[in-house]
This record gives sequence, structure tokens and C-alpha cells, in this order.
Amino acid sequence: MSEEIKEEMKKLREEVARLKEQLEDVTDREGRKSRGIFIDIGNAHEYVEDVMESVAEGIHGELHKCILIGPGGVRIAKKERLPLGEGEAEVSFPKAAEVMSALGHEYRLRILKELVSGGKYVNELQEKLSEITSSTLSSHLKVLEEAGLVVQEKVRGRYLITIPGRTAYKMTTRITRFLERGSHE
Amino acid sequence: MIWQNYQLDSSVLKVTEGLTLWQVEKGKVDISKDSLAVPIKLGNRLEGYVFHGQGGLLLDTIIETEEGAIGKPIEKELDESFLMLGNTEKIQQYLEPASKDKIREMKYENEQSFVTEAKDLLDRFLGNGRIHKHQCWSYNRGSIFAFPNKANKFDILIGNGSKIVYKAINTVFVSSDKNVVLKTPDEVILARNKKPFIIRKQFFP
Repeated sequence: MSEEIKEEMKKLREEVARLKEQLEDVTDREGRKSRGIFIDIGNAHEYVEDVMESVAEGIHGELHKCILIGPGGVRIAKKERLPLGEGEAEVSFPKAAEVMSALGHEYRLRILKELVSGGKYVNELQEKLSEITSSTLSSHLKVLEEAGLVVQEKVRGRYLITIPGRTAYKMTTRITRFLERGSHE
Repeated sequence: MIWQNYQLDSSVLKVTEGLTLWQVEKGKVDISKDSLAVPIKLGNRLEGYVFHGQGGLLLDTIIETEEGAIGKPIEKELDESFLMLGNTEKIQQYLEPASKDKIREMKYENEQSFVTEAKDLLDRFLGNGRIHKHQCWSYNRGSIFAFPNKANKFDILIGNGSKIVYKAINTVFVSSDKNVVLKTPDEVILARNKKPFIIRKQFFP
């Protein structure tokens, strides 16, 4: 038995020697291509995971500064966005109430809807809201302007919806849809 | 090329009716009737005026983006002397010599006291290096306004067609047909074709 094993071992050594020769041949033929750093890729999976983790940490760190890229453009802000629920103490409730109050009227929401598609002159808005008088329309526009939801150009006189105005309008429509869906269920 | 100095004329004029000195879609400068004016000359050529009277500056430093409008309009009363270079041909016809009474109504003792104030304004403007005193200036480049500000410097407005450059304390606004830049103490906004790039101290919304 031991003889058989010895024989087997001998064959294996010969095989290894032959393979080594073949490898050297290949190395010589390939020249510089075959020379280089040999990395033990036995732990490749762990290595890749480590790299990915450090990359993710780097990205996360950068996001603290905070770079946000969206279809509408790029925004860079110094502070990290707080998770929902944090930072309520910084909210100005009088301001929040003013904004909510400005949104709390059908005609003001309709004005915002008209302005979402682009800036409009008063007469254009008046055409769209023909059931209200021009003075009522002006007073609604004033409320929206004071709340910072719309802004009026001083030279041309057009009304434009602001970023907060658009956000508030979107928020209102989403809440309404959500509530309507809830009431049907 | 002959290099010449900008100089003030000695004649004091008054504005015969309310006048728009400059107007484009995003901006406007007005001066009221009976305001005083001293011509600024480069050699024999009329180059501009120093005005004093009631006036107004409107500038829509608002940037329209796909996400909504950013910025607020600037509305400023002009009750101090200010300087304007360019667009003189149109203005000339709305000016006539000011009587001593009109000059006194504007709180100046005589012609010379207003001219002295206007000269001081012109010297400060040229001295600030914005336009070299000997510079050869071509007014097909548009109009320049210099409004004295609280920092004892000038708010500068340059308008050329639809292109506007406005630099004031805490505000820089540059606008052309498709590109707009607005810098305020809190943010810098660059927009091209209504696509904004916003750098803010605090993120919103």
C-alpha cells in the first residue's frame, strides 16, 4: 500500500514539475503580460466588500455636505437633511400657519394650479377664474404673495409660483388624493 | 485714437416730463419731472448725465426654474444723485435749461453747488476704477448706471439689450436670454434654460 502511495506521489510530483515547465513556457511567450503582481484572490469577496463599504462611507460623508442631483438640476447644501421627526423645534409655527392658511382656500389653490404651468398676468388668471371679481383675485394673490408662495415681477407684472409654492401645491394635492383614497377604502 | 477725459458740462438742465431712462423686460429706471441733470461729456461728445430728483429702479432679480421661481424683485427709490452713461440721444429731447428757482426747489443754492456735487460723484465713480478716466468708451454697448449706496460706494447697473449686470451690496445679478446668475448672502443660483444649480447655506425645502 505504501508502495502504491509512493508511486502515486512520484507521479504527482512529475505532474507538478510538468505543469511548472508549461507555466514557465507560457510566461516566456507572453513576456511582460504575464509578469506582474500576483494577488491571492481567495478572499476576493471579502476584499470587494471592504472596498465597497469604504466607498459607501465616503459617499455618505460627502452627502453630509450634501449634494443632491435631480432631474430639475443640482443642489448643494451645507447642512445634512434631518430625518423626518427631527428638528421640529426649528419650525416657525406662525409661519407654518400662515402658509397653511394661504393654502386653505379653493381659489388660491386654483391660482397655484394655473401658475404651475408658467408665469401669468393678472388678466390671464382672471380669464381662468372668471367667476370671481378682479378685486377678489387681487386679494387672493396678495395672500399667496405674503406667504411666499407666489412672486410678482415688478416690471412685467406677471405672477410666478415660487419653489415653496410649487412644493406646497404638490403637498396639498398629494394629501388630498391620499385622504380621498382613504375615505373610499 | 485720441484719449480724452470725461468732464461735466457747466449747464444745469431739468427734466421736462417723467422719463424712463432705461427699460427692458426685467428692469426699468425712471426719473420724475423737474429732476436736475448735468451732462457728462467726452471731448465734445455727450456721453451721459448726472441726475438728481425723484426716481425709481425696478429690477426683477427673479429666476424662473422648472421647480418654481427663486428670488425677489428689487424696488428702490432714487432720491440721491446718480450717474448714467449711454442712451443720451433719446434723453436729450426731454431736457431744458433749469431756472434758478427750480434749482433752489431741489435744495441747491445755485447751479455751481449742484455741479460740484455732480463732479464729486463722477470723480468717485471714475476713481473706483470701473471705467478708466481716459477710456475710449463705445455706447453701443448699452447703458451704465451708478447709484451711490450706504457703503459709500456704488450699486452698478449695466444694461445692454436683454443683458443685465447688477452689482449692489450683498447682491449680484447677471442675466442674459437663457442664462441667469443671482448671488445673495444666503445662496448662489445659476440657471440655464430654467435648469437651476443652487448653492445654499441651508438646504430647502
